[in-house]
Amino acid sequence: MKWNSRTRCAIVCLGFILLFSLFSFRLIYLQMIKHDEYAGLAAEKHVIKQPIFAERGAILDANNEVLAHNVPVETVVADASRLTELDATIDLVSNELQLPRGEVSEKLRSDRRYIVLKREVAKANADSLRQKLRAKNLRGVYFEQDATRIYPNGIMLCHVIGFTDFEHKGIQGVEGSLDEYLRGQDGYRYIEHNRVGQEIVQYRGQERAPRNGYQVHLTVDLNLQNIVENEIDAAMREYSPKKATIILMRPQTGEILAMANRPAFDLNRRSNAKPEQMKNRAICDMMEPGSTFKIVTAAAALNEHKFSLDSYIFCENGMWNYGGTPLHDHAAFGDLSVKDILVKSSNIGAAKLAVTLGDQKFYEYIRRFGFGDRTGVELPGEIPGLIRSPQSWSKISITHIPMGHEIGVTPLQMATAMCAIANGGKLMTPRIVKSITTSDGKTISTLKPIALRQVISPQTANQIGMALRGVVSDRGTAAAAAVPGFVIAGKTGTAQKVGPHGGYEKGKEVVSFCGYLPAENPQFVGLVVLDDAQTKPEQNYGGAVAGPIFSHVAEKAARYLDLEPHEEIRKAIPVERVALTSSSRH
Amino acid sequence: MNRSRRNWNEVNAASLARWIVLTGFLALTGLCYVYLTLQLDHLGDRKKALETEVTNLRMQNEVASAQIAALTSRAALQRRLKEGYLKMIPIAEHNIVRLTIPNRNPDDAIQPVSNPRSAR
Repeated sequence: MKWNSRTRCAIVCLGFILLFSLFSFRLIYLQMIKHDEYAGLAAEKHVIKQPIFAERGAILDANNEVLAHNVPVETVVADASRLTELDATIDLVSNELQLPRGEVSEKLRSDRRYIVLKREVAKANADSLRQKLRAKNLRGVYFEQDATRIYPNGIMLCHVIGFTDFEHKGIQGVEGSLDEYLRGQDGYRYIEHNRVGQEIVQYRGQERAPRNGYQVHLTVDLNLQNIVENEIDAAMREYSPKKATIILMRPQTGEILAMANRPAFDLNRRSNAKPEQMKNRAICDMMEPGSTFKIVTAAAALNEHKFSLDSYIFCENGMWNYGGTPLHDHAAFGDLSVKDILVKSSNIGAAKLAVTLGDQKFYEYIRRFGFGDRTGVELPGEIPGLIRSPQSWSKISITHIPMGHEIGVTPLQMATAMCAIANGGKLMTPRIVKSITTSDGKTISTLKPIALRQVISPQTANQIGMALRGVVSDRGTAAAAAVPGFVIAGKTGTAQKVGPHGGYEKGKEVVSFCGYLPAENPQFVGLVVLDDAQTKPEQNYGGAVAGPIFSHVAEKAARYLDLEPHEEIRKAIPVERVALTSSSRH
Repeated sequence: MNRSRRNWNEVNAASLARWIVLTGFLALTGLCYVYLTLQLDHLGDRKKALETEVTNLRMQNEVASAQIAALTSRAALQRRLKEGYLKMIPIAEHNIVRLTIPNRNPDDAIQPVSNPRSAR
């Protein structure tokens, strides 16, 4: 059969039509019928959800001084399946990152596709390694942007600031308690990458910008903190106590102005710190407060109008048998007024005030002063202390609790109770956080002072304040706590140290002093606690050890806060005064 | 002349021109598509490079801020003070001049800035 040219042409065209129809059907099959399946497979291979990390917010003090912030670093990772020259890569990485060659070799010889070689590599080191890898055309080593937390002041305020773990989660201090605000919210971006892992920018998908963490402003003033830290270090050198705590608070608002504990640790070298150094003893440690607790006893008795400040109580000449147990005073006191019970720190006098008040009423006041409850300060790990209910008191508890035995309180609870005396009877919630702002300064939240309750009347608070002025005088137990130019109100405390297995440890004392300044218009309350100070036994008292430390702190703090010395005392000091008269104002 | 005209295929000039224009248009469209795709790719690369540059600058800024914070921190200043780089002299009490705030009546607590006489 002979086909003419037209037929041949028609056959060829038909062939082409069939061929291209086949292609078209295949194309329709792949592009439409199998579209979702293959698009999914392609996306799985090339599209990734790339996280955009939010920056953690900074922590600042009351004067916007930086306490914690971030420094960009890089994490060096490797994909073992993409390594080109293994030995050369091992040599280069181990040299540049200063890692043992064996460790790098072990990691890179595994089959894993995601190997973390080193975290927190400084940007300069990472850049250097990146350039060398590029120059030698070595592949399979990648760099991930990261940030590390830096604490410019090292040891200062370490227990309050706290720190983060390697995943940037706050685990102690304000870093832990306000992690939700500081952390921010990571964003993401769907990206498509090519065969060598580079992003194809024009195929970027859905994107959500990160929200950076908020800045936290503390109530702590770093100038005051510095004063406190220097004094606590001086006390550690002089007395070598096992532990020490100093707190400064503003009584009217409950703001914590400074808080220092020893032992302490450097926040930038936290991996070397021992657990004992990391404890914020101001809120985590329980102590018997000793005689400082007498302020609670006397305030309760005066507020219930059982006594007036000038009522006299017979103090049994130094020894009182109650419930078959003798109770001693440090001196043989006869009749003492309620005021002098505080000034002379008479155990028997305080016990008699509590006995007159009764178990239930006294317990009520202890709780009203906030003992036995967490104060609610914005710090993690706070303990409520230990206050037993009257049902579980022994017969002699009513004579021991008034002098600060048989109870456990935290230093912060004690300082807060003294704030209530200083501010006219209001129990304020201690606060360490002043405000929360965005990084550009927009205020998110301002934390207002919280008055929990009126514990005692302002008159009672004033009466206790008057009595406490006598403590810091040559008649009282804390003459050494005095600050020239100022009237100070305060109370000393000396309690035998409770051993780890119960019972008291002989010759080991917890000494404290809690006071405020100026007594007539308190600007700050200070608490100094030293646990097991190494000094002569006859000098191991609150007034002799903690009192002078308070004096040093208070003197420097008063100078910093520019508190004007008391008029009578100032007259003795030649100070030039410039009076602003009405004429000088024009 | 007549013979040659008979052997030649007749060309429809209008149709040819239409096809040429159509083909040219399609070719141009294709070239434009390729050019724009390449341009998009190029702009993508530039965008990425700029993003990298901005990120690097931001990182450098953060590193610098961290260094400033570290060098001006209280701990660093204290160290410099101890080393003798800085020297501080405490202010003696007799050098402090205190301004006495004049006593005011409670009525004077709020002081208007406008002069009431001028309103008359």
